[in-house]
Amino acid sequence: MAQEMMVLVRFLGMQRVVTKKDSINIPITGDMTVKDILESVKNLYPDLNLDEEMLFVTVNQGKASLDRLLSADDTISFLPYISGG
Amino acid sequence: MELLKQISYDPAQVTGGYADRLLEIDLSKLHITIRDLSSDFKNKYIGGRGYALKLIWDGTRAETQYDSPENILVMASGPLGNEPGFPGTGKFIIGTISPLTDTFVDSNVGGHFGPLLKLAGFDALAVSGIVRADSVIVIDGDSRTISIMAAPAYDKETDEGSLSFGKRLLEDINNGEYSDSLAAVTAGKGACNARFGIINSLFFDKKRNRIRAKQAGRGGTGTVMRAKGLRGIVVRSSLSKANGNNAVDKEGVRRAGSRLREVISQADPKQLHLSAWGTTILSEYMNKFHLFPIKNYQYGQSSESPKLFAGVFLDRYFTKNLPDGCYYGCNLACSKSSEAVELTRGPYKGQKVNIDGPEYETVGAVSCMGIFDPHFVLEYNWYCDEYGLDTISTGTTIAFFMECFERGFLTAEDIGYKLTFGNMDAVDRLLHEIANAKGFGKVTGQGVARGKKWVAKNYAARNGISEDAALAELNKFAMEVKGLEFSMYVTKESLAQQGGYGFALKGPQHDESWLIFIDQIHKELPAFEDKAKALKWFPLIRTWFNATGLCKLPWIDVRNPEAASTDEPAKNLPTLAYYVDYFNATTGSKKTLKDILNDSERLYILQKLTNLRHGKGTRISDQIPLRAMGPVYFNEYESRAEYYDGWLREQLSDSEVPAIPEKKHELLVKKRTEAYQQLCDIVYEEKGFSSDGIPKRDTVEKFGLMDEQARQLLQSFDM
Repeated sequence: MAQEMMVLVRFLGMQRVVTKKDSINIPITGDMTVKDILESVKNLYPDLNLDEEMLFVTVNQGKASLDRLLSADDTISFLPYISGG
Repeated sequence: MELLKQISYDPAQVTGGYADRLLEIDLSKLHITIRDLSSDFKNKYIGGRGYALKLIWDGTRAETQYDSPENILVMASGPLGNEPGFPGTGKFIIGTISPLTDTFVDSNVGGHFGPLLKLAGFDALAVSGIVRADSVIVIDGDSRTISIMAAPAYDKETDEGSLSFGKRLLEDINNGEYSDSLAAVTAGKGACNARFGIINSLFFDKKRNRIRAKQAGRGGTGTVMRAKGLRGIVVRSSLSKANGNNAVDKEGVRRAGSRLREVISQADPKQLHLSAWGTTILSEYMNKFHLFPIKNYQYGQSSESPKLFAGVFLDRYFTKNLPDGCYYGCNLACSKSSEAVELTRGPYKGQKVNIDGPEYETVGAVSCMGIFDPHFVLEYNWYCDEYGLDTISTGTTIAFFMECFERGFLTAEDIGYKLTFGNMDAVDRLLHEIANAKGFGKVTGQGVARGKKWVAKNYAARNGISEDAALAELNKFAMEVKGLEFSMYVTKESLAQQGGYGFALKGPQHDESWLIFIDQIHKELPAFEDKAKALKWFPLIRTWFNATGLCKLPWIDVRNPEAASTDEPAKNLPTLAYYVDYFNATTGSKKTLKDILNDSERLYILQKLTNLRHGKGTRISDQIPLRAMGPVYFNEYESRAEYYDGWLREQLSDSEVPAIPEKKHELLVKKRTEAYQQLCDIVYEEKGFSSDGIPKRDTVEKFGLMDEQARQLLQSFDM
């Protein structure tokens, strides 16, 4: 049986307070995008207040769009915009 | 309190955001003068930083030092300060000739002082001269008097502290009661003994029923205040703050304020959530992207950093469920506060104190010293505020000496003890030594730029090498530019922010530009030309905020959802449009964003000219330490070797990348150094400067700044 492919979603700041977790693993299939994972996270944690218009996404520390295709073991973060006060 | 001088006056009524009056106080002669400001003056110099710059350009000389009698300490809000209907209008500017940079510096600070000064009838206060005995100034719009008085003597603890003295003074002047009709600025004993002394801005918070304080932290403004013999300034006005600007179009102000408040209330909880966490939220993000200034900016990340993340401060210290704005009407309310924190160190050990903070910069400063203890952050924060020391410069300076000690440039005999990274006892001791000018505190209180020369001299004598050679090595990790210590961001991987710090006219403080994310993470500035354009645009718009009496955070740290569909989302133009509307509605003008940027550029060029006059305006003054560009020592390279090797492969062909790690490190440093010089060339061109960083004649003429002084100055540089 083939091994299940997973991605890691890291929670930062208020996300960690709401989820009470540093990260979660989510299984993916070959054609899943960042947007699919965002929807999964929203369903899992409706209180997270994730709004795609106000998010900056990184995959493996690099900037990524919502339609980026994911690979096994990718690490995803949904971040606020930061502009340095 | 002994009255030294008093005058009576009729407070001017504020109209369209301006009182159109300047209050000038000469402490040497005990002269108090009220000067009307012309419409030409306000149109050209706007307010805040612009007023401070023009007064200092005209009133001081190249030879003026921070403690010269003719140095001027200017405090000014701006036409948009003091509007409870619009978020973030409590800011004012304190500008002067700095004891750290020896040129113009300004520091923006929140609280009620700027708004109350305007309600008392003045757009700006300019204090010159030196008084013979410590004094206070009271500007009382209610009794219509302005007084210079001998500073009251309470008890030793109160008299030496900036917060303690300010609280007592505010109580004393108002018959034993606190009131939000009064505000004060004070500087403590640390400001007498260190070049990075701050000015606390104290105001009464009705919800907490206590005096709170914000800090004008950068550049040593408190040191100037104490050098003038000035212990505090109190301003009073009981006039209504609502519609305090007497705006030309009140409905326009209401509309613009309502739009901004709506964006903040909708977007901030989904973004940084500053209203809940304050700026401490940045620690986690900075650590994630290797930007946290750990151990004198050597490393950007540490496994210990989570001890300093916002959740820790929120859980253990911050008051919850109380709005924390530093002025009325701000629903971003990021000014967090920690109540009844017990001090476990120092002369006030055992006392419970209220701490206004910490802010991100203070947390970063503690990480810079290799310390990851949140309670230590709180205590460091309070002692710095009470003594009147800048948490940023104090931390950066101590961190520099820690690295000097660990690399053998300093010995335990030099210091009196072992000053190692992470050593809380040593930092605690040194902090009190700085405040009291004792032991090694006398050296540390001079800041990094002067401190590194002291180290070089002693190290050279001990080791039989030249001072120049020793200094050249220290320059690589001495985190200062123009004499000011870096604020708390690692810039190694963002060339644009290297420029953001290097070209910043006051020195490496991020309020002129903060481009790390759009450059390093978002990759929105791929070419040198893109970086240069950002290094022109952002300092100009940020200058405008400092000229108008506004806080930048509601614009820059809350991204308007509508910005996503614009060409340059990072500029957050939909929110900036509210600010332009607010300006026009207040003053009755019809400016566009382009007009506003032009107004700002005039101030920017005037500041550049002032720097030029004081020997800090050419290319050499924009040079940054190697630590700001890349890994100075092999341990830094090794800590991210895979990343740095990848960076080299992106820049060069495989055959050009050496196999030996030490050679890779060497090549990396060379490429980074070359890139910064190339950036200088392109940025100077974009800004209308010569290749030596000097404004061209037509740039100065374009903004109506070619007075006789500017003409002679440019001539002296063959311009």
